[in-house]
Amino acid sequence: MSATPTVSTAPARPGTGSSSAADVVRLDPNRHVPGVRQPGFAQVLHAEWVKFWTVRSTRWSLGLLFLLGAGLTTLVCWAAASDLAAGDTGEAPAAFLTWGLLFSQLTALALGTLVVTSEYGTGMIRATVTAVPRRGRVVAAKAVVLTVVLFVAGVVTAVAGYLGGNWFLDREGVGLALSDDGVLRALLGNGLYLAGLGVFALATGLLIRHTAAALTVGMALVLVVGNVAYALPGTWGEWVAKLLPGNAGGAVAQVAPFNGGAVLAPWTGFGVFAAEVAALLLVAVLVFRRRDA
Amino acid sequence: MIVARGLTKTYGPRTAVDHLSFTVEPGRVTGFLGPNGAGKSTTMRMILGLDRPTSGSVTVNGRSYAASPAPLREVGALLEARALHPGRSARDHLRWLAASNGIPRTRIDEVLDLVGLEAVAEQRVGRFSLGMGQRLGIAVALLGDPPVVVLDEPVNGLDPEGIRWVRNLARELAGQGRTVLVSSHLMSEMALTADHLIVVGRGRMLADCSMADFITEHASSYVRVRSPRVSDAEALLRGQGLDVDRLDDQLRVRGRNAAEIGELLGGAGLYVHELALVQSSLEDAFMTLTADSVEYATHPAETAGAVR
Repeated sequence: MSATPTVSTAPARPGTGSSSAADVVRLDPNRHVPGVRQPGFAQVLHAEWVKFWTVRSTRWSLGLLFLLGAGLTTLVCWAAASDLAAGDTGEAPAAFLTWGLLFSQLTALALGTLVVTSEYGTGMIRATVTAVPRRGRVVAAKAVVLTVVLFVAGVVTAVAGYLGGNWFLDREGVGLALSDDGVLRALLGNGLYLAGLGVFALATGLLIRHTAAALTVGMALVLVVGNVAYALPGTWGEWVAKLLPGNAGGAVAQVAPFNGGAVLAPWTGFGVFAAEVAALLLVAVLVFRRRDA
Repeated sequence: MIVARGLTKTYGPRTAVDHLSFTVEPGRVTGFLGPNGAGKSTTMRMILGLDRPTSGSVTVNGRSYAASPAPLREVGALLEARALHPGRSARDHLRWLAASNGIPRTRIDEVLDLVGLEAVAEQRVGRFSLGMGQRLGIAVALLGDPPVVVLDEPVNGLDPEGIRWVRNLARELAGQGRTVLVSSHLMSEMALTADHLIVVGRGRMLADCSMADFITEHASSYVRVRSPRVSDAEALLRGQGLDVDRLDDQLRVRGRNAAEIGELLGGAGLYVHELALVQSSLEDAFMTLTADSVEYATHPAETAGAVR
């Protein structure tokens, strides 16, 4: 680049040069959209809904959630039915009707985490925040989408698992009717617990921002720490264990708990769990709003 | 219109943007120029409300970006790094963006057509080339038909045809009365696109002037004259009050254009072997201006002197 054509800037254009800003056309931001309304939360929700369903990981995760949740419950009930009937397991047959939850909760965590960490991983988060600078709305919309989808997926999975698993238990005469104590509550509770876990993972993802790290922390908190905590000594140790999110929230999703650690009553536990999720989400929103995207 | 006042951003001890004040006017292309690491992208991120200024402020159309109820209809932005999910199709990416700001779906086809991506709209963007990604980014920027357009390094990764397209697009948008801010680290590119220049280095303002002023001030030009009777030519031109430098057998003349100098010499019966306008490039001017503020300076090899 030396010599020649660098001078050819500022070609003749109407209204340049001496023109002031005054004779520049004022553009109406709404000119392409007659009668358009200012976007509100519904628009943000719609956007998040579109985002959620237009990546492959969503369908994979939900497929896996159903397969693990309903499939494993059925499989384990088939394998354990005769032992349960003989009373050899030392567990109530009711505990086995939601056995697959142990694994379906992992996919709920993964889905909730990915909804935000995949945006950080790809740089999408910048597009999201430029489109919707009110970041609290973004998080709220994501939480609503996750709650609705995971609630439905959780209930559907639990019902399918119940139908499949109970068929084998019935054959051995230890099946439970829908009207039996805790069965309907657990089927509904599956949806509630998984929805709560999804939002929990969303909050963890927002705070940590890296998929692998957020997933590890989420799973460790819900599964590993939850189990290890039962080894803590004394009544305070028992309380810590009972109050940890996985233990507190899980009870509502099970017809009857497995033997071992003490758990809170189902709805009390879910109340604690919901409060913990809400608190974590609040912290995540506050951090997200302050942070550079 | 974009107005920055005392805009500052520090990351720990490092100051990325240092008290920048400028106004980006509508109806012209404003080039935002500086070497890598000069703070261009940080400034643009602050304009878009992605980063929070440490101090100072920047407003778009009189208010902060975040205060806009439908920002995509007010400001369109192409961000330097790709900001999209590779698994989503181009159309789906535009769909959620349109949904978020209440932009009708018909506009999606309009912008896809505008950037020439309609044939690959259903493809996952992870398969897109760099150039296609840039085109999609520009489609995103124009989705809301915004009066303010901010393009961060828009020609990165584009082929010559694409570069020309972006250049014309920027000029066209400005011609329609929009505010257009285009960042680049290439002076040569800016020279062809921008009417106005904002030059930064190490976060500080180095120049804020029209392109024409920048050229007059920073890029020197002269007429090179070769003549068999170089001493006579020199004396003649000096006698006309022109600024003449002599290097061996050539003269560098400033103050008249080549035609006038040719006529002067011809009138005196002097043969002329060469008569040429030499313009030192804007690139050189830019390099000189920003020499002190290059973040990762390279040091020329010892033999480099021989090249000049």
